[in-house]
Amino acid sequence: MEDLKAYIETGILELYVLGDVTPAEKLQVEELASKHPAIKAELAEIERSMELYAGENAIEPSEYLRSRVLGSLLTNFGDDNDFPTQTHTERESVVVTRPYKEKEINFYKYAFAACLVLLLASAAALYNLYNRLNDTNTRLNAMQLQNQHFSTTVSAKDSELNLLRDTSFKLIRLKGTEKSSESVMTVAFSPSKQKVVIDMEGLKLPANDQAHQYQLWALVAGKPVDLGVFDATADSSGFKNMKAIASADAFAVTLEPRGGSESPTLSQMVVMGKY
Amino acid sequence: MSEEELVLSLRHREKIAVEALYDMYSASLFGVISRIINDTAIAEDVLQETFVKIWHSFSSYSTEKGRLFTWMVNIARNLAIDKTRSKDFKNQNKNQDIENNVTFIDEQRNTVYKPELMGVKNLVQTLKPEQRLIIELVYFKGYTHVEAAEELGIPLGTIKTRLRMAIQELRKHFN
Repeated sequence: MEDLKAYIETGILELYVLGDVTPAEKLQVEELASKHPAIKAELAEIERSMELYAGENAIEPSEYLRSRVLGSLLTNFGDDNDFPTQTHTERESVVVTRPYKEKEINFYKYAFAACLVLLLASAAALYNLYNRLNDTNTRLNAMQLQNQHFSTTVSAKDSELNLLRDTSFKLIRLKGTEKSSESVMTVAFSPSKQKVVIDMEGLKLPANDQAHQYQLWALVAGKPVDLGVFDATADSSGFKNMKAIASADAFAVTLEPRGGSESPTLSQMVVMGKY
Repeated sequence: MSEEELVLSLRHREKIAVEALYDMYSASLFGVISRIINDTAIAEDVLQETFVKIWHSFSSYSTEKGRLFTWMVNIARNLAIDKTRSKDFKNQNKNQDIENNVTFIDEQRNTVYKPELMGVKNLVQTLKPEQRLIIELVYFKGYTHVEAAEELGIPLGTIKTRLRMAIQELRKHFN
């Protein structure tokens, strides 16, 4: 009994009521209380006086708080499984101990820095890529132009080749007259197709001026027939279709005023060739 | 409604019991919470959280272990102290350095005596100043007796005795 009294005198029971004991002390107090009515009675007295003391120091909370609190309790009334409401979880997350909190802040700090670095790196990479894309687009356009140029050239060459393969065509070489002995040109003539084509690329005629043009003539039964005009320039290329005719004995070219003449000026004849 | 009846109908999770619980204890609990947390809005939040927790974990309360109020006031005090240590609360208080927690708790919880909070009744005359202070620290401010001993510069044994004497005085007063 003396021991119990000494135990009570230590003040441990007061601390127990205040929740200020270790788990071991708590167990000890509870065990002793269940065995000794004296301790149980002492505890009850301490509890009662602390409760009354709290009552003396009570502060009435605002009127509106009553409905708020009761509302939050009764919202899930009858459904205990749902009870851990948001308020509850929020509280759990709000109660963070200090070391953990600092770690968390550090984590966000680093995460933010990492994000920034990533953002900058991506921006640089994007800029680089954008430049390359532009470059590629320019080159692609140039290639397309070139390609177009090639395909037109190829199709032109193709048609030229086809013309040369066409057996109905005959190639007539017109040779230079005394007036211009160096001149030479080729005429392709197909009587069956009534087509006359001149080779502009192999053309060797003195370049004509702005006021004059060369005119191609066909001699049919001794009479000259106009087959159209053309210019002799250094960079002329391909074949040129002339006016149609069914038959010809010979072809000749004279230099005429621009637009051509009704009849050839014989003194200005530069080349001639027989069919 | 007696405490036994109240506990019984809370076990049965009756609506009327919740209302009675609030009406009987909210002021006493709010008095304790308000002494730990000065901000009324936050103190009200903590009171709400306290009731939520009481309601939620009521099954863990047993009459064997003591009075209902003792159990509830410990929940309220712990939640209030947790709140003062929480991130939100510290942010509100401009992130003070809390390494020296006792000084910090002092500032946080404002040990300055507030007569309007203390209920200036004849009770104040009943307790000696040092008894009143130890009760104030441990019961209302949530200090552990170890923290109180450090704060007051008094040996642990003396703190315990002084606390016991203070409560003895209260017992006399209430009898």
